[in-house]
Amino acid sequence: MSSFFVLFRKEFKGQLRTYRLLIVVAVFFVFGLGTPLLLKYLHALVPADSVATSIPEFTTADVVKSYISSLGQLGLIAAILVAMGSIASERESGTAAMTLSKPVGCGSFILAKLAALAVTFGVAIAVGAVGCYLYTVVLFGNPGGFHFFVATLLGALYLLFCLAVTVMYSGFVKSPIAAGGLSLVTLAAIAGTAGLPGMKDYSPGALLSWADNVASAGGPNSWWVLIVSVALVIITTVIGWQVFKRKEL
Amino acid sequence: MTAIRCQGLTKRYGSIVALDNLDLTIEEKVIFGFLGPNGAGKTTALKIFAGLSRSTSGKAWVVGEEVVSHSRSLQSKIGYLPEEPAFYNWMTGREYLTFVGQIFGLSSRDIVKRCNELLELVDLSRDASRRVSGYSRGMRQRLGIAQALMNKPSVLFLDEPCSALDPLGRAEVLETLVRLKEQATTIFMSSHILADVERVCGTVGIIDRGRLVVESGVEELLQRFAHHVFEIEFEEPAASFVRLLESMPWVERVAVEEAGNVSRLMVRARDETRAKLELPRMIAESGLTLRQYQMVLPTLEEVFIELVGNRKD
Repeated sequence: MSSFFVLFRKEFKGQLRTYRLLIVVAVFFVFGLGTPLLLKYLHALVPADSVATSIPEFTTADVVKSYISSLGQLGLIAAILVAMGSIASERESGTAAMTLSKPVGCGSFILAKLAALAVTFGVAIAVGAVGCYLYTVVLFGNPGGFHFFVATLLGALYLLFCLAVTVMYSGFVKSPIAAGGLSLVTLAAIAGTAGLPGMKDYSPGALLSWADNVASAGGPNSWWVLIVSVALVIITTVIGWQVFKRKEL
Repeated sequence: MTAIRCQGLTKRYGSIVALDNLDLTIEEKVIFGFLGPNGAGKTTALKIFAGLSRSTSGKAWVVGEEVVSHSRSLQSKIGYLPEEPAFYNWMTGREYLTFVGQIFGLSSRDIVKRCNELLELVDLSRDASRRVSGYSRGMRQRLGIAQALMNKPSVLFLDEPCSALDPLGRAEVLETLVRLKEQATTIFMSSHILADVERVCGTVGIIDRGRLVVESGVEELLQRFAHHVFEIEFEEPAASFVRLLESMPWVERVAVEEAGNVSRLMVRARDETRAKLELPRMIAESGLTLRQYQMVLPTLEEVFIELVGNRKD
């Protein structure tokens, strides 16, 4: 068995045993179900004599848009919180030195972490998406299975990019908090570039607006955003690997 | 054949020199004790040899292979135990050893066999199914030794292997190290427990402020720092013999201890060669009943203090 698969299996087992997988799935499941529920019963939740009359009737497209937006915001926070200690805490505790004193490449070490996190978030996103889709069908009507699926995939790619950036910073510094802070600032800056005229066709931050467009079956495809995002996932992983292998353990 | 060699090995952290031009040559199948006060550079050297840190300058070779940071080829031939071994706390002891075996590419059957052997060796068989988070410090240290042995390494690097162990645990680990040496493993261990080093190490290197102060066989080192003290015991009072000794020009001082009928003399000589020649003859002519006669060697601790302690600012 190659060292990557050994490390991946160890990482994934760790996610299970430390309940990280369960927690991330629960978070995504709750907001997946919660989004259509909240929009359906918002009128009932807000007192009748207040602003309830100004709340419009939500459509299927509104639900999917809200779900994609939550995926981008809650998902980003979850990705940073879960991934910020992935390497930093191992360096701090000394487990990285124990593992890397064995015939294990730094590249396999980082890639196994990213892959295990990607699987965890993939499972969580899938569970959340199924919950959201079914409740939307029941409460609002069918949002269109294919469009919903593609929109979710674009949201998942955005979170994969967030994970790759956070894992990279986690290899740069020994403190998980510092890695989280650096990731948050970088990802906020990248999200900001999605609104800039010259950048909106390339920034990974534009994946979410593309997902919105796909969900509402309108708007152009942004293939460059897809290409740049995938390229940046690869580039951040390679940078993380190159910097990490020069670190003292 | 040489197991470990380094030439001009230097490591700087900014303005701090952790290792300063370290030259070492360690033969195969020996237990080498690497001694030094805290912060002397022992751990830095061990990390460089284990491929976890890069030297600023100089080169090192382990089992004939040049040490390069994270060299998979080199790391498959060595075992490494850090000063404070760290484990994934959600794993059991057996799971951790299995994980290490998988990293080394052992087959499932070999892993099970090796795990059982190593757990037995470090006396953790009964606790193998417990999570590492529940292990005491001594148990973690023993698991650390087991994981370092998983690949039957040619060279074993141990950073303070006995520091967390009780006297019984220390004795067991030291016996294990001696057995490993007999199985053709070269062991490079840093330690501040000098009695342990004296007990198992054939050669030692003493390092201070990144510089190698001395590298020598333990016996040679103790001989070199012997204070020309001779211990003589008689089965009766020896006052007249003491007076005779004190009149000799090659004797510096004689200390006498009497316990019951036994007289114990500690003779410090000015001239060791003359003392070695004259003392047996004088004892024979004294008519006293000799119980013991030996040249007293210093302990490794005394040599260490003499070499390193006097250099403190």
